[in-house]
Amino acid sequence: MERNRWERLQALFHAASGMEATERGVFLRKACGEDAELLDDILAMIEEDRATSGLLDGRVEGLAARVLGEAVKEGQKVGPYRIERVLGEGGMGTVFLASRADLASVAAIKVLRDAWISPARRKRFAEEQRVLAQLNHPGIARLMDADTLADGTPYFVMEYVDGVPMDRYFAGGGRPIEERLRLFREVCEAVRYAHQHAVVHRDLKPSNILVDSRGAVKLLDFGIAKQAGEYEVAADLTRTGLRLLTPAYASPEQLRGERAGVQSDVYSLGVILYELLTGRLPFDMSKGSPVEALRKVSEREPVRPSLVARRVREKEGTGATDGAAWADLDVLCLKAVHKDLTQRYASVEALMRDVDHYLRREPLEARPDTLGYRLSKFVRRRRAEVAAAAVVAMTLAAMAGLFLVRLAGERNAALAEAARTQRVQRFMLNLFQGGDETAGPSKDLTVAMLVDRGSREARILDKDPAVQGELYQTLGGIYQKLGNLEKADILLRESLERRKSGRPAGRLETLVALGLLRVDQAKLDEAEKLVREALDGSRRELPPGHPVTALATDALGRVLEEKGDYEAAIPVLEEAVRLRSAPAVSRADLAASLYELSNAHFYAGHYAEAEELNQRVLSMNRELYGNQHPRVADCLVNLGAIQHDKGHYREAESYHRQALAITRAFYGEDHHRTASGMTMVARALVFQQRTGEAVEMLRQALAIQERVFGAVHPRVASALNELGNSAIRLKRYDEAKAAFRRVISIYREVYGGRHNLLGTGTSNLGSAHLAAGEYAEAERFFREAIAMFEQTQGPDHVNTGIARVKLGRTLLRQRKYTEAEVSTQTGYQILIQQVNPSASWLQSARADIAEIQAALGKAAR
Amino acid sequence: MDSADSLILEGAGDREALDHLFSVAYEELRRLAAGVRRRDPGATLSATTLVNEAWIKLARTPVVARASELHFKRIAARAMRQVLVTAARRRIAGKRGGTGSIRVTYDESLDSAAGSDAELVALDDALSELARMNPRQSLLVESRFFGGLEVPEVAALLGVSEATALRDWRAARAWLAAQVKRGAHGA
Repeated sequence: MERNRWERLQALFHAASGMEATERGVFLRKACGEDAELLDDILAMIEEDRATSGLLDGRVEGLAARVLGEAVKEGQKVGPYRIERVLGEGGMGTVFLASRADLASVAAIKVLRDAWISPARRKRFAEEQRVLAQLNHPGIARLMDADTLADGTPYFVMEYVDGVPMDRYFAGGGRPIEERLRLFREVCEAVRYAHQHAVVHRDLKPSNILVDSRGAVKLLDFGIAKQAGEYEVAADLTRTGLRLLTPAYASPEQLRGERAGVQSDVYSLGVILYELLTGRLPFDMSKGSPVEALRKVSEREPVRPSLVARRVREKEGTGATDGAAWADLDVLCLKAVHKDLTQRYASVEALMRDVDHYLRREPLEARPDTLGYRLSKFVRRRRAEVAAAAVVAMTLAAMAGLFLVRLAGERNAALAEAARTQRVQRFMLNLFQGGDETAGPSKDLTVAMLVDRGSREARILDKDPAVQGELYQTLGGIYQKLGNLEKADILLRESLERRKSGRPAGRLETLVALGLLRVDQAKLDEAEKLVREALDGSRRELPPGHPVTALATDALGRVLEEKGDYEAAIPVLEEAVRLRSAPAVSRADLAASLYELSNAHFYAGHYAEAEELNQRVLSMNRELYGNQHPRVADCLVNLGAIQHDKGHYREAESYHRQALAITRAFYGEDHHRTASGMTMVARALVFQQRTGEAVEMLRQALAIQERVFGAVHPRVASALNELGNSAIRLKRYDEAKAAFRRVISIYREVYGGRHNLLGTGTSNLGSAHLAAGEYAEAERFFREAIAMFEQTQGPDHVNTGIARVKLGRTLLRQRKYTEAEVSTQTGYQILIQQVNPSASWLQSARADIAEIQAALGKAAR
Repeated sequence: MDSADSLILEGAGDREALDHLFSVAYEELRRLAAGVRRRDPGATLSATTLVNEAWIKLARTPVVARASELHFKRIAARAMRQVLVTAARRRIAGKRGGTGSIRVTYDESLDSAAGSDAELVALDDALSELARMNPRQSLLVESRFFGGLEVPEVAALLGVSEATALRDWRAARAWLAAQVKRGAHGA
C-alpha cells in the first residue's frame, strides 16, 4: 500500500468509525467511489476496531508462552535415555529427568532451548559443559555425557541429584544454627573447589543448591559460570548479560554489570547464609524493578541478621534468640555481603575460616580486633558444649551492668561506639590478660566474684588443653592482680600442666607468670629458678627476637632486683630494654622494662641514672596511658623516693601525694597499692616532723596490707617500718620496737639471712633502742646492720654510712668517744661523697663529731 | 530485516552486539513465558519490567551505552519481536517437514500454539508493510506491544502528543488485526 493511500484509509477510518451504520454506509460509498478494496479495508478495520480479543490485545508474555516451546518432550528418547519430566528451567536450557532402562539408572539432561537464537548461546552452553567437565567434587553435580539432538540442539547429561533445594530443606525453621552452618560450610567447600579451578559460579542461590536425603549438598547450574582469565572484559560482560541474574543473590557489582569475580560468589554465599539464618533476604527484591534493586543494594545497609531473626521469632513465637551467639553471625554475614569489595571477605576460604572459628567459638578474623571483643569471646569459649552457659552469661551481664555496657547482647555495635566503651574494653582485657593497668573505676571485689565464678566454670571443662591452659593462665593472672596469690598459684600451675605439651611459647609464658607470682609470694629463689628456666627455654626453643624471650629477660631482671642483687639486675634489665627497643615491640613493653631498670639503679644508689630514666618513663607513660593512669603514679612514686633519699622531703611528699591521688581513684581505698601510696606519703611526713598525720595514715595502710597480703609479706613489713619510725618520733618506743621486730622477722622469713632490707629493719630497731636510751641493745643492732649493708650494698653505700653515724651516736651516748669518733667520721665521709647525701644525717653527724671532739678534748685536757 | 530495522538498530553496532541483544531478549521472554506456563500471576512480570531488566543488564555494554533509555527500549522491543517471530517461523518450517526431528510444545496448547505461530508471522509481515507506509506507526505498535511501553512513553519516544499516539495506535491496531486475520487464514 502506498503511503498516501494509507493516510487516506486512516482518515476515512477515523471519520467513519464514529458514525451510525446507515450514515457510515452513505459516507463511505461516496468517499470510496469505485475503490472497492479501499471500502473493504475500512470496513475490516472498523470490525476489528470493535473486537477486543485480537492478537494485539493480549500480552506479549502470553504469546511468548505459546511460541517458545521445548526442544524435547516427555517420553522422547535422547541418546540411551528416555525423557521423564521437566526438573527445572534455567536461563539457558531446560533440565529434564531422564531414565536409562539398560542400566536402571536416572540422570539429569540439560537441553539448550532454541539454540538458533544466537551463536553466543551455543557457545555459552558449550562453556558450561566444559566447566562441569573439569569439576570433580562430591559437592558439585557431575557431568556424564554430552551430544546433540538430530536437529542439532545440544544437550548434556549430568548426575541426577534426588534432593530438595536448600531453601526448602530449611523452610519452616527449627534446625539448629550449627546444623545450618555446617551445611552452608559444605556449600562453601564446593564453591572453593570451583574457585581453585578458576571457575566462578556467578549465580549461587538456594534453588541452585540441592540437599539430598543424606543431608549432603550438591551445587547445580554453572550456566553462567566463568572461567577466570580466559576472556576479555567485554566478552565477560556480554556473557553476564546473557543470563538474567537473580537480583536477590547478585552482588552489587554484578547488578551494575561490572565484572564478577570470586568475591561476587562470596557475596551470594553471604546472602544465602543470611537467608539460612533469618529466613529473610538482606534486601526485599520481590517488588520493584531491578533498577530499584540496584539502588537498594547500593544505598542501603542490610538489617543485622540477629535483629531480623529476633523479629521473626517474636512474630512467630518460636522462642528466644541467643544474642551473644548472634553477634558473631552478624559480623560474619555482614562482612560477606559487604558492598565494598575491600571490606568483603577476600575469598570463600576466608569466609569458611570464620565459619569454622564460629563453630569452634574462637574469635572471628572478621572482627575488628577490639580488646573487648577478644575478651568476651574468650569468656564465651569456655561454654563449649556444657550446659553452663548461664555462668558466662552472668559473668558478661554482670560486667556489662558494672560498666554500663551491654556486652552480652550487642557487643559489636555497643562496644565499638563510645570512647567510654573503649576504656572499659581496655580495662577488662587488661584485667583478663594480665596487664596491671586498667582504665576504669575500681570494682575489684565484684571482679573477684566474677573470676571466682569463671574459675569454677573452667574446672568443669577439660576438653581442649590449649584452651584450658590459656584460660587458667589468664584467670591466675587476674587472681594475682587481685592479690589472691593462693588461687593464682593453683591456676597457674594447672595452666602449666596443660601447656606442657603445647606450643613452647605458651608454656614458657606460663613459667614466667608463675615465676613472677613467686616474687609476689616472696619466694625469690624459686622465682629465679622458674624465670631462668623460662629464659633458657626461650633462647633454646624460640626464634631470636621472640617476645617471650624479652618477657623472660625482663622478668629475670625483676626477680634479681627483688632479691636485692641490683648490680646483677641492671645488665639483665638493660638487655630487656635492648630487646624491647626493636621497632615491632610496643612502647608500653619498652616503658615497663625502662621502669624496672630505673628502679634497679635507684636501689643501687645511682640516683642520677634513676631520675633520668624515671623522667623518661613518666613522659612515655603519660603519652601511652594518659595522666590518671597507675603507671604514671608508679613513676611519680619513684621520683618521690629519689627526692626523699636526696633529703628533699617536701618535694618527695608532693610527688607521693600526686601518685596516691591517682592510685586511690583507680584501685579504690581498699587496695594494697593505695596502702603503699599512703606509706610513701607518711614517710615524707615523718621526715618533715609531721608525725601525727603520718601515724594515722600508716595505721590505715598497715591494715590494708595485712588484709591483702597476710601477716608475713614485704609490703606489710614496709608499712610496719614506717609505723615504727613514726612511733619513735612520738616517743612510743615499745610500739616502735615491736614494729621493727616484726619487720625483721618478716624480712628474714622472706629473704633469708641476707638482704639490705634486713639491714634497714635491724638499723631501725637499733634507732628505737637508741631513742629509748637502751644503748647496749642499740649498739648491737647497729653493728649487725652495718655488717648487713656492707655485705649487700657495699661499704660506701649511703645506708652503710647512715648506720655508722647512728652507731657513732650510740657510742657517744655510752661515752665511748674514741670508738664513736671512728664510726661517725667514717659514716660522715661516706655520706659527704654522695651527690645528694641525706641532709639530716649529715647535720647530725656534724653535730655528733663536734660533741665527740669536745668530749675528747675535755678528756685530753 | 528491512531498512526500518536497520535504522532502529543502527546503534546496536556489530554482529556480536546484536547477537547479545537477541540473547537477552530471548532470556527475558523465556522468563515471561515460564511465568505464564506456571499460571502464576504473581510470578508474571509485565513486559515493561522485562524491558527495564534487559536494559539494566545491557546498560554497560557497547550496544546500549550510546543509547538513551527510550531508544534502548525501542531496540529491545525490536529484539523481542524478532525472537518471537523467528521462533514462530522455525516452528512452522519444522511442521512442514524441516529437520524431521520431533517438534515439541505443551500438548494441551498444541493447537493454540500453531495458531499463534501463523498469527505472529502474519503480524510481523503486516508490521513490516506498515513500516513502509508509516514507520512511526510501526514503531508505535512494536514498542507498545512487544516492548510493553506505556502510551506516554511511546508518545515521548515518537515526539508526538498522547492524543496523536492513541489515534495512530487505534488505526494501526485495526488495520494490523485485519491483515493478521487475512494473512493467518491465508497461510
